[in-house]
Formats: sequence, C-alpha cells, structure tokens
Amino acid sequence: MARLTAYLLAPVLGALMGTMAFAQTMTDVGTPRNETLVVQTFDGKAANPDQQNPLNAYAIWRGFRELGWSFLWEMDTATGNSYPELAAGPVEVLNPEHTKFRVKLRQGVYWSDGVEFTADDVVYTLDTAFKYKDKLTFVSTYVNYVKSWKQVDKYTVDIETINPAYDFQTVMGVYSWGSLFVPVPKHIFEKAADVTTFKNPNPVTLGPYTVKAYDPNGFWQLWQLRDDWQRSGWGNLGKPGPKYVLYKDFGAEETRTLAFVQNQYDEDTFMSPDSIQAAQAKNPAIQTFSPKMPFNDMNDACSYGVYINQQKAPFDKPEVRWALALSLDLQTVGITAVNGQFKAAALPISDTPITNPSFYKPLLPFLKELKLADGYQPFNDKFADDLVNKLKDQGVDAASLPTGDDVAKGYGEGWWKFDPAEAEKLLGSVGIKKGGDGFYTLPDGSPWTIELVIPSDWNKVMQRVGFSIADSWKKAGFNVTARQADNGEFNTVQNTNSKFSIMVNWSNTCVYNANFLNSWRTFNKDNVKDVNSNDPLNGNYLRETDPAVFALVADATKRETTSPEFLADGQKIATALVTGMAEINLMNIPTTIPTNSYYWTNYPKADNFYAAPYTWWSSFKKTIVNIKPTGKQ
Amino acid sequence: MGVIQYVAKRVGLYLAVLFIGVTITFFLPRLLPTNPIDAYIGQIQSRANGVLSADAIAQLRQNLEELYGLKGNLFSQYVGYLNRVIFHLDFGPSFTYYPTPVSGMILNALPWTLGLLLVSTVIAWVLGNLVGVVAGYFHTRRAATVLEVVGILLYPIPYYILAVSVILLLAYVIPIFPLSPTFPVGDLSLQMVGSIIYNSTLPALTLVLAGFGWNILSMKALAVATTEEPYVTFARLKGTSNWTRMVRYVFRNAMLPQVTALALSLGTVFNGALLTEILFSYPGVGLIMRTAASSGDYNVLYGAITLSILAVATAGLVIDLIYPLLDPRIRHR
Repeated sequence: MARLTAYLLAPVLGALMGTMAFAQTMTDVGTPRNETLVVQTFDGKAANPDQQNPLNAYAIWRGFRELGWSFLWEMDTATGNSYPELAAGPVEVLNPEHTKFRVKLRQGVYWSDGVEFTADDVVYTLDTAFKYKDKLTFVSTYVNYVKSWKQVDKYTVDIETINPAYDFQTVMGVYSWGSLFVPVPKHIFEKAADVTTFKNPNPVTLGPYTVKAYDPNGFWQLWQLRDDWQRSGWGNLGKPGPKYVLYKDFGAEETRTLAFVQNQYDEDTFMSPDSIQAAQAKNPAIQTFSPKMPFNDMNDACSYGVYINQQKAPFDKPEVRWALALSLDLQTVGITAVNGQFKAAALPISDTPITNPSFYKPLLPFLKELKLADGYQPFNDKFADDLVNKLKDQGVDAASLPTGDDVAKGYGEGWWKFDPAEAEKLLGSVGIKKGGDGFYTLPDGSPWTIELVIPSDWNKVMQRVGFSIADSWKKAGFNVTARQADNGEFNTVQNTNSKFSIMVNWSNTCVYNANFLNSWRTFNKDNVKDVNSNDPLNGNYLRETDPAVFALVADATKRETTSPEFLADGQKIATALVTGMAEINLMNIPTTIPTNSYYWTNYPKADNFYAAPYTWWSSFKKTIVNIKPTGKQ
Repeated sequence: MGVIQYVAKRVGLYLAVLFIGVTITFFLPRLLPTNPIDAYIGQIQSRANGVLSADAIAQLRQNLEELYGLKGNLFSQYVGYLNRVIFHLDFGPSFTYYPTPVSGMILNALPWTLGLLLVSTVIAWVLGNLVGVVAGYFHTRRAATVLEVVGILLYPIPYYILAVSVILLLAYVIPIFPLSPTFPVGDLSLQMVGSIIYNSTLPALTLVLAGFGWNILSMKALAVATTEEPYVTFARLKGTSNWTRMVRYVFRNAMLPQVTALALSLGTVFNGALLTEILFSYPGVGLIMRTAASSGDYNVLYGAITLSILAVATAGLVIDLIYPLLDPRIRHR
C-alpha cells in the first residue's frame, strides 16, 4: 500500500516541484520580477504624478531624467567629465568672447513615436520657453542664460549666451543630477492647446524607456524599454539590462526594510544604517555601498556644513567662528548622528575621488601649515586615524574598519582639532567670557544664546547631525538650542539676513568637479544685503563679503573651467573661506544607497565605481546599462 | 421654539461657523514662518548651477506672485480668496506643483480617504458599541470583564506600535497582505475593486483596532450608568427580558452621546489619517496636507482645511437637526 501511494504521489510531487522551479515571480504591477529593476522613489509619493511636462514643475522623481529624457551633454559621474549625448561632440566656441556657440546634434536619434529628433525640437523648446517664460516654471535657468539662437541646418543650432560662458555644456547639459534644458518633441507640443498647462501624460520620450503605466496616486511608475532603444538618445551607451524599471514608494522605513528583506525591490535611497544592518542580518543579498566602514556612499556634489551669518555680531568676528569650529567634536557628532559613517571635509566642498586631486591634495600643505592670528595651528591631519581608533575602542569590529591609505579615503584628509580651551582663549580675545552658569556671555555681560536652525524630519541625517552639534557646543559652554525648520521655512531662513544667524546647510557647498562656479558663482556684491534686511538673498548663503573673493569669482568666470588658472582661482577662494572660517564645513553628504543583489548584480559600488550610485540622478543610465540579471526567477 | 425657528437658528450658526472658519483658514497659513515663493525659488536655485542673476530671481519672484495670486495687499487677497472659494469653490493652483489645480489634488485623494476612514470608523463604532453594551449591561459577570479587558488593552496602544505590529504579523511573519499596497490602474472593474479592498484591508484593520477600544470603554461606561436608571429597574420589575432591557432601554439611551461622537468622527475623516497614510503608503488627504504645510502651499492648505471645516460643521448641523428625532427630550424643550 505504501509503495502504491509512493507511486501515485511521485508524479504529483514531481509536477509540483517542476512548477515551483519554473514559477516566475511577478511584480505587483504584473511584470516578470527578473526582468524588472525595482527602485525606491526618492521623494516617497508624488503629488503631481500626471504632470509630465518638463517645462513646468513635474513628477521629476519618477525616472524621467534617468530613463525618459535625454540631454545635450551628460556627466560621467565616475570621472567628472562631460560627454556628448544628444550632441554630436563638444560644443564649438564661435567667438573669442565665449558668447557664441555651435551645437551639432547626433544624427539617427528618434523619439519614442518614431519621429526623428532634429534641431527643430531644440529650437522649438527654446522658442516656447522664451515665449512663455512668465508662465512656465521650469525654464528660468536657461532663459536667463541664453540670449538668442538660430537654426543653421537640420542638425545644427547656434546659440548666443547673455554673458561669457565657459560652462555651456554643464548648464545646457548635465552638471551633476540632470539638466534643466530638456528638449521637448515639437510635433507633440505644438499641438497642445495651451503649452503652459499641458500635462504631457505618458510622454513621447528621447530616452530608451517609455512610461508603461503610472499610479495616479503617485506611489509608482513603470517604465518599459523601447523596441528601438538603440536609436534613442543614449542608445549608444549600450543595451539597458532591465526590460522594465519600476519606481515605487515602499513606504516608511519600517515597511521598506521588510520589503527589502523580501527581495521586493533592488535599490534604496537613504535607509538608516540601523535598518540596513537589520536587513543584512536577514538577507545576505543586501549590500552597502562600501564593504568596509564607512559603508555609506560619499560622492554627492554637496557637503554638510554649519553656515554662519558673517555679517551678524558676534559671528562677524573670525575668532568667534573659529571658536565654534574648535568646540565642535566632529568625531562624537559623526559617531552619534551617523554611526561613525561619514567622511570629514575641512574645505568648503566635498572630498570625493573627483574633487580630491583638484582641491584637497593640493591644499593639504596649506591646511597643515595654517595658523590663526595667535599662532595656533588648528588642523588635525590625524583626524581619520584618531576616529578609526575611537571606533575600535567603542567595539566596532576591526576587520570592518579601513587600514593604511584607505583610512584617509574613507574618513577624509583631516579636520579641525577639538580644542575647547583654545576656543575659550579666542573668545576671550574678543571679550566673550564664560558666566557663572558655565555659558559664554557677550562682551557687555549679557547672556549669549544661539539658535541653531536645522532641518526637521525632511532631512533626517542633517537633523541628527544638527542635534548632535548643538549638544557638542552646549558641553563646550555655548548656550545653544537646535530649532527644527520645515523645508519651506528653511529656505526662508537661509535667504533672509534678518532671520539667519547660524544653521546647518549644504546649498552653497556643492562642487562636483573642478568647476566650482556651480556653487560659488553667487559670491558677488549683488548678493550682499544689510545685516537686518528682510529682502531675500539670491545666493551667497555664506554671507561672504570679502572683495578679494568676489574678484576671484569674477576672474574665474572668464576662464576655461578646465584651465589651471581657473582651478587656481578656486583653490584661492577655498583658502580664503577657510582662513576666515566662513563656514564650518563638516562632511560629505553620507547617502546609504543599499542594494539587493538577489535579482540584479553589478551595481556601482566603492570598489566598482563606474557611476555615482544615485537612482535619482540622470547618471543612473550607467547603472541601467551595467547591471546584470542573476537569473533568479 | 418652533421647528422653523430651531432650524433657522441652527443653519445660521452653521453659516457663521463656516465664514469664521474660512476666514481663519485664510490668515492662519500666512502666520507660518514659510514663504511658498522662497521655497520654490530655493528649489529652482539648487538646480540652476548658480547662473540665475539677482535680476532674474527678482523677475521670477514677480512672475510667481502673479501666478500664485499673491499680488496686492492682504485685504485684496482676502477678498479675492472669499470670492473664489465661496462663489466658485475654486482654490486655485498648488504653489509647489504649479499649475496642478488644488481641487484636482484633493478630489483624487478624497475617495481613498473617505473609503478607508468611513468604513473603518463605522466598523469600529458598531463593533465597539455592541461589545461595550454587552460588557456594560452584564458588568457584574466575569465574561463582561473579559470584554472590557479587550478595550483596556487595545485603547492605550499608540497607533504607530499597533500598526507596525499588525504589519509585522500579517505582512511579514504570515504574509497574507502586502507590505505596501499597489493599487491597480485602469477602468473600474470587479477585479480592481477586489484588489483595492485587498490592499486596503491592513490599514483598515489597524484603524478598526485603534478605534474599537475607545468605543468599548465609552459605551460600557454609559451602559453601566444607564442600567442603574429607574426606568430600567422599572422595566425589570415589569418582567421584561434581559435582551429587551439591554437593547431597547439601555442601548438606545446610552447610544445618544455615541451618535454625536460618531458624527463628529465622520466629519473629521476629511482630514485624512496621516500616520496610516505614511505607514501603509496609502493615498489620502493627510499626506497632501502634510506636504502643503511644510512647503507653505497656502492654496492646498486652504482647500483641505476648508473641506474639513465644511465636513465637521455639516456633521454638527446634521446632528443638531436629527437629534430631536432621536431624543424626545430635546423636542419637548
């Protein structure tokens, strides 16, 4: 009887196992999971998912820049070099003043509906942007950059800029995350009744993907590879790996972590180190950006820093700003706020493999030799080694910590000494002394209270860093309170002298390659207002007032951004900002970007850095053509 | 007081509440330390590679003031706002997502909010009150204590803990439901309705559990008090059954304050359930309001808050108008 049962059950079990072996997992949107790359959205839920017109504010975080649009020039985020995408080559400069340019387009590029992309589309986009510049909200950059344009032939456009321009490719193309100049299809847009309110749903695209479906509630968007991807805007980059790409919000970090463990998606954005660790314990396919500490990615163009209103007493004195820097225990701040996973950066820019050879390495002797007015040398070039030792002392597994040259690569070239005694001396030199309660008082003897503005939970990393800084300063004798601001108020504080004293910020320290003008161009006298002014500033959030810095910026705008003279200007600006401690730069922005290698492998990593790992930058296209399926069903 | 006078007084009060509410709604967001134009310009600048000159920003600021309807002094903006809201129910475009109209954003989110919150609120109310009345009427028995314990256990659990526990249990340990919903797109069909119900079950369950406990406890307290009333004692002496006394004497009388609470709860469902929406990636008004508040998107706040005021005030009016039908004592006054 038992044998008979076995005979009867064998084929049934065999069939079941066979079915299981070949059963294909499907995504929630009905695509085969092993053909679909699933990424967490950068912004959670989109409030305007059906707004897909790039001339207006649109659902920008749903993969458009990465998969749907194509730009004249793209940025190779692994090297910091611009390369042609829709353009046939580098821009041609037509006059010695650097105001006239010729853009030649690549031939054989087609929109997703089969119409050829030509100069007509570029000219139409410029015509429309200028015609409706009062109503279109996403064209302000290039309508204030371009003066005139003329179509030369089917594939050539001449463009004149308002001012001499040496950054044409990175303004009309991509500098870091994408370009604001997005060519739109003339044959579609010219039929719209009102282009200023046209939503452009399921757009005709130049990129190799088209929108297959999107959630009208804004939680997900599905892209499908074009059959003719080879003749798309970046089809020449190689064959995209996934047939489908799904951008989806997996919710709060708690549910995201669980979904990650269940292999429901492949790439995250900012997951906290604690959640990553918990997920890794359950699923070995989950990987951090770097195999060793600091595990986080540190390649963002921007850096976190404490921005100080240099015009406002008592912060107008360099001694005070230096005292704040020397009272900040960055090692403890970094360990408390980001689990010791940060890269210290003393110059007012990120220290990345791209900026390091241009700024950090050449300026290291300056930092080491820097002396304050009293002869004190504030730089600690052993900061990274000290930090590694501190982490070891705190029980971090030594095998997970970097050694040798990797220490500086991971934790930076150094930072300021933590020396509250020197800070007290500096403050004493300008009449600021500690009162009976242990807190510093102003020169007139009145209490000195400091309100440090920090982001609320819209930027959790900065929020934690901000609280930790306030704690560090409080212990050093500064009566500080950290006040959280929503992102709208944060901008208002940043822009308004009367409301701004000191805040944690990143927006004026964003330099991706040697072209520092991207962030520092706004250091000019037009962006200096009275200390009590309620008028908004248009940049220069560091409140730099040094005419020498303004002169260097003005000089740099007249130079090739790749020339040694241009770089020398940038280095001089950096040294001036550091000498006056215009900003207490803290660290590169640590982004965690964990990945799941269950269905896909070969993501950009610290030891495989073929592109910045961000799924919300246009350079994600490099990931798309480099990732490989694992073959798992 | 005659019926007409009663109704007229209530309707007059209702309109006054609406007017005051709408007026406060106009001024309140302007007290926020957030300027929507600064917020938008900040976004543009962060993407502009530093090429925008001071003149260009000034021009952009002027254009945005025009587009957003923020030109002119506060009074003229207020008059324009009343005109648009009262006579046209038009809240204009979202500032953050210009030119997306506010009405479209709210109308998209509202069916999801109402679908989830109306159903879960009513289920929690019905279940809670049924269990509560039994626990209250038989409060001297041990079984009733057990029912009360259910309420006592559930009520104080913070919603976040409750929701995460339910997610862990039913979407991870026993993965019956999705961790985050994926609502299908396309035309409405039976399959789609099924999918929506399936994807909404988990958030609805947490809301029912969260509301259930309070309803048990409050109804139990009311039922205990009502059971001691002389008319219930009189009914018992008359020889009525337990069932009759519990349902017709205790439940009907104890239910009156619960009906008021239900009506007000139903009014507030228009605010959405922010935490539920965040934890379950559920579309609704709560998330829209949260985003609008953080970015100073006045128009979206106007739309959402006005709708909420309208709903709560209308719920109050409906209660006022139907209460005389439920409670004869009010009719006699």
